[in-house]
Amino acid sequence: MAAQAHAIDYDPERNYDEDTLAQQREIEKEIAESQPLISSLFTFDDIVEEYTREDEVYRHKIENLKTRYANLRKTRGDGNCFFRAFGFGYLETLLSNPTDYQRFLEICEKSKDELIALGFPQFTLEDFYDTFIDIVKQVKNPGQLEKLLETFNDQGLSDYFVVYLRLLVSGFLQKNEDDYIPFIDGERTVKQFCSQEVEPMGKESDHIHAVALTKALRVPICVEYMDREGQTCNSFMFDPTESPEESSPKPALTLLYRPGHYDILYPL
Amino acid sequence: MAGSALKRLMAEYKQLTLNPPEGIIAGPVDEENFFEWEALIMGPQDTCFEGGVFPARLTFPPDYPLSPPKMKFSCELFHPNIYPDGRVCISILHAPGDDPMGYETSAERWSPVQSVEKILLSVVSMLAEPNDESAANVDAAKTWRDDRKGFEEIAKVTVRKSLGL
Repeated sequence: MAAQAHAIDYDPERNYDEDTLAQQREIEKEIAESQPLISSLFTFDDIVEEYTREDEVYRHKIENLKTRYANLRKTRGDGNCFFRAFGFGYLETLLSNPTDYQRFLEICEKSKDELIALGFPQFTLEDFYDTFIDIVKQVKNPGQLEKLLETFNDQGLSDYFVVYLRLLVSGFLQKNEDDYIPFIDGERTVKQFCSQEVEPMGKESDHIHAVALTKALRVPICVEYMDREGQTCNSFMFDPTESPEESSPKPALTLLYRPGHYDILYPL
Repeated sequence: MAGSALKRLMAEYKQLTLNPPEGIIAGPVDEENFFEWEALIMGPQDTCFEGGVFPARLTFPPDYPLSPPKMKFSCELFHPNIYPDGRVCISILHAPGDDPMGYETSAERWSPVQSVEKILLSVVSMLAEPNDESAANVDAAKTWRDDRKGFEEIAKVTVRKSLGL
């Protein structure tokens, strides 16, 4: 327990828990000041510098990505990067795809009542839904990229958008509880898992979050996994239609995964 | 987003006024400032806190409900999960990353769809069932564990004090 760790010079009057939390806040603040929530476009030459000369595996993989992707946008490492990368990246594609926009809008507009039916209290859900749908509707007017980037870099708006995506994932998992319970670790119900690992802000996303989000919104995405294993990135397709491999749909967007973090990739 | 926080707090106040949960009264201290609430919590029945009325303050951050409020009892309350200065330390008041007490993974955590009502109901459960695994007041946790009678005696004195007796 804490008392043991502070055995030397332990001052019972002092609140060490608060110190720990304050330090954590300080680190979060530093990250917030140095990284935008969604960056402008970078080239791979910009990120190759993040890896030392000796780091051959990563350098090799970046060279390989360069043969397929032109740019990337970086997202802030705040535990919400998967949701934020997905949200911005996908809405950005909708700017030039009115048909898919219409389809997506319909799914989103139905989602609120579905979540209420699952037991989410209306008064806690409504504000997130309203902000979310307003942001989705920004896409309707073409040429809104600058505005969208500005919205996603507004901490409040951007976080409300992320909250709603988290609720969609939670709702999807709860609705399809029987299919997902085998993938939940610990002695937890799907509902408990959602309230601990999905709904709270800053909780990082695992495979199950990505599966649920792409299925809930029926948006196929591809993730390029860049780790120290192997010679090239492994790409994985999250295909909500579950069609056989040869006929799987073209991904609406591609994310780059580096251990613990997602960014957005732009194909050549 | 202080505007969103205000809107949400007003909605929660309305909700709590229309459907007050048993044994709980809560609302802004002053209708000019919705970020500072006062709550009155009745000691749960069939526990050593039964009959007491315990006042507490809730302080909401500007980004509420993305971040949880802080809660502090403004009366004396000897309890394993309440710091000697009155601050309440339960898992629902912390996001999953904030883990000062090493809460169990199954413990309920703060998320934006939690609410003041959920917090206050958790506090009522906490009064009824102290958790001595993650103690904010080590003395109280020890007394609760090793000298239950002594703990109940202290609680009874607190109940009488809370009623101004």
